[in-house]
Amino acid sequence: MASHDDLPSAPHTIDDFVKGYSESGRLRGFRCPHCGLVTATWGLACARCGKVGLAETELTPRGRVSAFTILHVPGDEFLNEAPYAYVVVDLDGGGRITGWMSGVHQEKELKIGERVRFEPSYKPGVQFVHEAEPAAPG
Amino acid sequence: MKETGREAATRVAMEAIQQSGFAPQDIGYTFVSNCFGMAEHQGHVGPLINNGLGIPDTPSVTLESACSSSSAALHEAFVHVAGGFADAALVVGVEKLSHLDTLTATSYFAIAADYPFETKNGATFPGLYATLANAYRQAFPTKDEMFGAIAVKNHANAARNPHAHFQKEISMETYLASPMIATPLRLYDCCPFSDGAAAVVVAAKEFVKKPVTEPLVFRASARSGSVTDMQDRPDLLGLPATRTAGAKAFRQAKMEPKDVNFLEVHDCFTIAEVMALEDLGFFPKGTGAKESAEGVTARDGKLPVNPSGGLKAKGHPVAATGASQVVEIFEQVNGLAKGREVPKSETALAHNVGATGGSCSVHIFSRR
Repeated sequence: MASHDDLPSAPHTIDDFVKGYSESGRLRGFRCPHCGLVTATWGLACARCGKVGLAETELTPRGRVSAFTILHVPGDEFLNEAPYAYVVVDLDGGGRITGWMSGVHQEKELKIGERVRFEPSYKPGVQFVHEAEPAAPG
Repeated sequence: MKETGREAATRVAMEAIQQSGFAPQDIGYTFVSNCFGMAEHQGHVGPLINNGLGIPDTPSVTLESACSSSSAALHEAFVHVAGGFADAALVVGVEKLSHLDTLTATSYFAIAADYPFETKNGATFPGLYATLANAYRQAFPTKDEMFGAIAVKNHANAARNPHAHFQKEISMETYLASPMIATPLRLYDCCPFSDGAAAVVVAAKEFVKKPVTEPLVFRASARSGSVTDMQDRPDLLGLPATRTAGAKAFRQAKMEPKDVNFLEVHDCFTIAEVMALEDLGFFPKGTGAKESAEGVTARDGKLPVNPSGGLKAKGHPVAATGASQVVEIFEQVNGLAKGREVPKSETALAHNVGATGGSCSVHIFSRR
């Protein structure tokens, strides 16, 4: 029979994810050593291939918006922020994360495919800000 | 709803039992669904309902599967009866939230999303479905009026449904003028918070006595799950759990979408009705909104969708919604849906989603 020490454990807690957004300014994630899935959600096993044993990884704090909405009626911890954007971001180094953007008031102020950067904040959640397009090579 | 949740649940349960031709004493198990009992400071409501029905010795359990709670309870009742553990089982869904202010109600709803990873990032339910609508519109150009047509159609149906929360029609102008909640979803794209209760009796064929009304025959009772968070979904153009639950249901029933005469689908937001019809295989991906705008899903159309008015206008009493869809199908089949009859009601499908698709139930019923 397996001892308690043999049971799988997550690389870190949900609270560590959340603290990373503000205190350490890092986007922490899990990577599946078997199928390579990179995720920003807590778990003991890979949500894609089902294999147990995820590894700690750090996510690239830059990426492109893959979907978004401008919330005019906010969540209860965001009462003073509305309207703001809720964004799904495909990160440059792999993985997808959801977050929000302060000061984006209208649909036309953001586009799918636009570049954004993680901005550590004392406010709740993963906060993103606009980032300039990288200069074309040459 | 003036009654407490417990009173309403007991009343509709008694009505369902009497319609079914059974006595309360024939019920072998009671499956209750209720998401927000805390709103009434009342948990463990199953025994209270059974007490009220005069069957305190009957076992009960409360199930929670967010907005798909009562279709989950229906599935469990089906499994229980099909497995021979009870001759007949009772399903009761109930929710009461109207005494709460909107902010409190919204925050109660938000606990069904992934709290640390979605809610704490500023998501609300309208926000999550709006994000899906945004991704959908990017892939398939969709005019505002196409979403609007679904809201107008469901309100027109609810106007003829005495059970509905909003028994009034709306115009496209009213839809377009309604305030933005989460782009591109306006107020009239969103279902309301509703109070309500609905009950269904599930029985094995050989134990059916002399029902007052014509019973429905289960052709399929399927459930599925999927990865909950949008940040873990590669595809935002539909709900994977609808696809898998729908495929399972059609396999069980040995049917195809063309065999279904009408549907009750989970339209918590207009985009959800579009995705449901596509994910269930009724329309190719990217065409659901257009088909709806052209009237195909109208009550007298080729494929009537949500003749009850749907979650949008009939209302969304969270843990009663799935059972209320079955009640609509039952009323259509029994000719009780006066003034909102669909042209053909031999076979119907009910589709009920938990949150943004972490859970999904699909049931298919036929006339006996």
